[in-house]
Amino acid sequence: MLDFLLGHYAYWFILALLTIGLYGMIMKRNLVKKLVGMTILQSAIILFWVVIASKWNATVPVIVPEIPCSQAANYINPLPHTLMLTAIVVGVATLGVALALLIIIYRNYKTLEENVLIDRMK
Amino acid sequence: MKWINFLLLAAFLGLMLYAAAGLPGRADLNAPFNRDFSPAGTPNAANYYIHNAYKDAHTPNIVTVVLADYRGYDTLGEETVILTAGLICFLILFRPEKKNHATV
Repeated sequence: MLDFLLGHYAYWFILALLTIGLYGMIMKRNLVKKLVGMTILQSAIILFWVVIASKWNATVPVIVPEIPCSQAANYINPLPHTLMLTAIVVGVATLGVALALLIIIYRNYKTLEENVLIDRMK
Repeated sequence: MKWINFLLLAAFLGLMLYAAAGLPGRADLNAPFNRDFSPAGTPNAANYYIHNAYKDAHTPNIVTVVLADYRGYDTLGEETVILTAGLICFLILFRPEKKNHATV
C-alpha cells in the first residue's frame, strides 16, 4: 500500500494539473486565460514524461567515466527528456502564434471576452 | 450548463486517476520502458542509447546525442516548425492596413 502511494503520488499531482489546465480551457471566458490553461496542460504532460523517465539510484543522462554505461540502470531514461525538449519548443511556437492571433483579435474587436466577441462578430 | 462542464471535468479526472493506478510506479526499474527488451521481445530504444551513445558520437550528454545525432532529421523538422511559426507571426502582425474599407 505504501509502495503504491509512493510510486503513484506524482501522477496524481500531474493529473490534477492536467485537469486545472482543461478547466481553464473549457470554463474561462477570457481568451488569454484559455491560453494560460493550455500552457498549464502542456506543462502537465511534459512533467508526466519527465517523471516517467526517472529510475531509482540513477544519475542524469550525462556519461561520466566513473559510472559505467554498460548498465542501463545507472542512467535515467534519456529518451523522454529529448522528446520533451522538442515538445517545449513546439509549445512555445504554438503560444507565439496564438498570442499573435489574440493581438489581431483585440485590434479588430477591442475585446478578448468570448461572449462579447461573439456579439460583436455578428 | 455550467455544472455539466464541472461534471465532465470531474469525470475526466476520475477516469485519469483510475488509469494512473494501472501505470508502473515511479522510477520502477522493472517497468516495461526500463527493461532491456519490451514485452514483445524487441530491444528498448532508450537502453540502446544509454549503452551506445558515447561509443557512437563521443559526446557525454546522451540527450544531446539523441537530439542531434540519432534524431537529427527530427530536430531539423522541429526547426521548420519554429520557422513556420515565426513567419506566421510576422505575416499576421505586419500585414498592410486596408485603407478604403471601414474596419469594425
